[in-house]
Amino acid sequence: MSVLSKNATPAAAVRRPPLEINYRLRHYLIRIVNYAILIWLAIVTGFPLFWMLITSVKERREVFGTFLPSTIDFSNYARVWTGLNLSHHLLNSLFVTGLTVTIMVITVTLAAYAFARLEFPGRDLIFYIFLAAIMIPGHAILIPMFTFLKRIDLLNTLPGLSFSFLGGSIPFAIILMRAFFKTLPSELGDAGRIDGCSELGVFRYIYLPLARPGVATILIFQFVGTWNEFLFSTTFISDPDLKTIQPAVYQAVGRYSTDYAALSAGLVLALIPIVAMYLLMQRQFIKGLTAGALQG
Amino acid sequence: MLAKAAVPYRSRRWSPKQRQQLLLAGLFLAPATILLLIFMASPFLEAILLSLKSWDGLRPAEWIGLTNYVNLLQDRIFWLALRNTAYFTIATVLFNTTVPLLIASLLNSKIRGSTAFRTLYFMPVVISGAISGLLWGMLFEPNFGVLNETLRSLGLGQFTQLWLADKNTVIPSIIIVSIWGALGFYIVIFFAGLQNIPQELYEAASLDGASAWQRFRYVSIPMIRPVITVAIVLNTIGGIQVFDQVWVMTSGGPNHASETLGTYLYGTAFGSRASSNPQLGYAASIAIVILLLSLCISIFQIRLGRKAEFEY
Repeated sequence: MSVLSKNATPAAAVRRPPLEINYRLRHYLIRIVNYAILIWLAIVTGFPLFWMLITSVKERREVFGTFLPSTIDFSNYARVWTGLNLSHHLLNSLFVTGLTVTIMVITVTLAAYAFARLEFPGRDLIFYIFLAAIMIPGHAILIPMFTFLKRIDLLNTLPGLSFSFLGGSIPFAIILMRAFFKTLPSELGDAGRIDGCSELGVFRYIYLPLARPGVATILIFQFVGTWNEFLFSTTFISDPDLKTIQPAVYQAVGRYSTDYAALSAGLVLALIPIVAMYLLMQRQFIKGLTAGALQG
Repeated sequence: MLAKAAVPYRSRRWSPKQRQQLLLAGLFLAPATILLLIFMASPFLEAILLSLKSWDGLRPAEWIGLTNYVNLLQDRIFWLALRNTAYFTIATVLFNTTVPLLIASLLNSKIRGSTAFRTLYFMPVVISGAISGLLWGMLFEPNFGVLNETLRSLGLGQFTQLWLADKNTVIPSIIIVSIWGALGFYIVIFFAGLQNIPQELYEAASLDGASAWQRFRYVSIPMIRPVITVAIVLNTIGGIQVFDQVWVMTSGGPNHASETLGTYLYGTAFGSRASSNPQLGYAASIAIVILLLSLCISIFQIRLGRKAEFEY
């Protein structure tokens, strides 16, 4: 703007080419500044991860003082893998996450279909009650859940931990899934019914196959949430053998305290499953994790 | 819930198709409803009742009315935790609604490598709060942590801090970690919001002589106002409930300087303080405060967001 107005005098109007050069220069300058900002942010974001990676392959004596390692040493990985029994904790996490996600996907798909595609009295009222449940934070149910799991003998068990996540995850997933079912045309169901399909068949053979992208979204959302969960996992499991990966890595701090090479290797190993999945299924991951926010 | 909804209608006549739909709905809703009653509704009601009791987890609980809440009001550490939580929430909300919006509009300006930038920015979002806390804990280490090392090697030794061990820098440090973990999330949702704005609006604004800043201010911002509201609400709820990073890095220390409502609740119920004297009823009352705060503030913000939308 300022360039244009400065050159808007009659004298300047004759000298047209400089204006164009000026404008171009300005355009390139803006581009450079834009890139500089984006690259700076990329460095700030990536640095801790980069630091963790290089520290994890450093020899112990090089951890402090030198930034880049002189040799690449993978022995830290072997050391924490066996030292922390990481395979065991990763399997615990996989079990808990798998169980939670399975139960969640089955119950949520059924309920969301009912809210989106079936007609029954009180439907919206019941839906609003489900909706209100998303406002209850995990903190609020932490202590009663602890005593409840203890009472039914599921405290300190992996299924118990898995069940404790259901209350917090189902309502939100139902909202996402209901919205997804609503995007599928209702004519599909009507067409099926005319062809003699039962109500159950309409769900099973028409809507369920079409709902796959929606299921993928809530599945990823739930998978990441459960895998990364810390508060419940650390509270409801005290048996060292049954710890899931997050609290297990947290405990490593006490054990390796200033052995940053080992600690970094441990963090990398704990991160590999989820980061690898993110990089492989980036689009679905970003969609899964932001779906709730974008639904508004 | 289901039975209640169905009863008043029982006298009505149902066509076979309606009856079938009702039956099917009951069948489809039953699993989710049962799980929610067991794992959400009942622990939630129990939490409210527990907050009105005094209980150490062993001896029978004793009904004490609102005493826990009255004690909270006189609890110095509770007020400190509330202040820290407010500080954390306000700082992250301010940062996470401004910077990501600018970055998202840069990414939206037909820049090359936009996807690659987004992939990298989003990476910390899939990393758990616990792990990012542990990672940053190493960077913040005062004696040989990379942050102070870098400052020293640049000749800026006087700017080195104890970071997590100093009561003045501990909260800002935790805020940095949280922003690092969440920034990509907000960049991506703002980016998606900007992409949904029809290109014609920008063209029309350009024809009317709007500068880049004016197009951002008078086209982009009003158009993605709903996304901004959602971002503020999510960030506020997350801020009021912050726990993982804080617990992993400082456990609320040094001397409660980074105590948040979440860590205070956990410490009171299960932490080392609790091992000698667990106060489960008192902790439950903190939980109810967390619930009320996130509920009231987010409803207020949503209202405000709606009102602002009407003004445009």
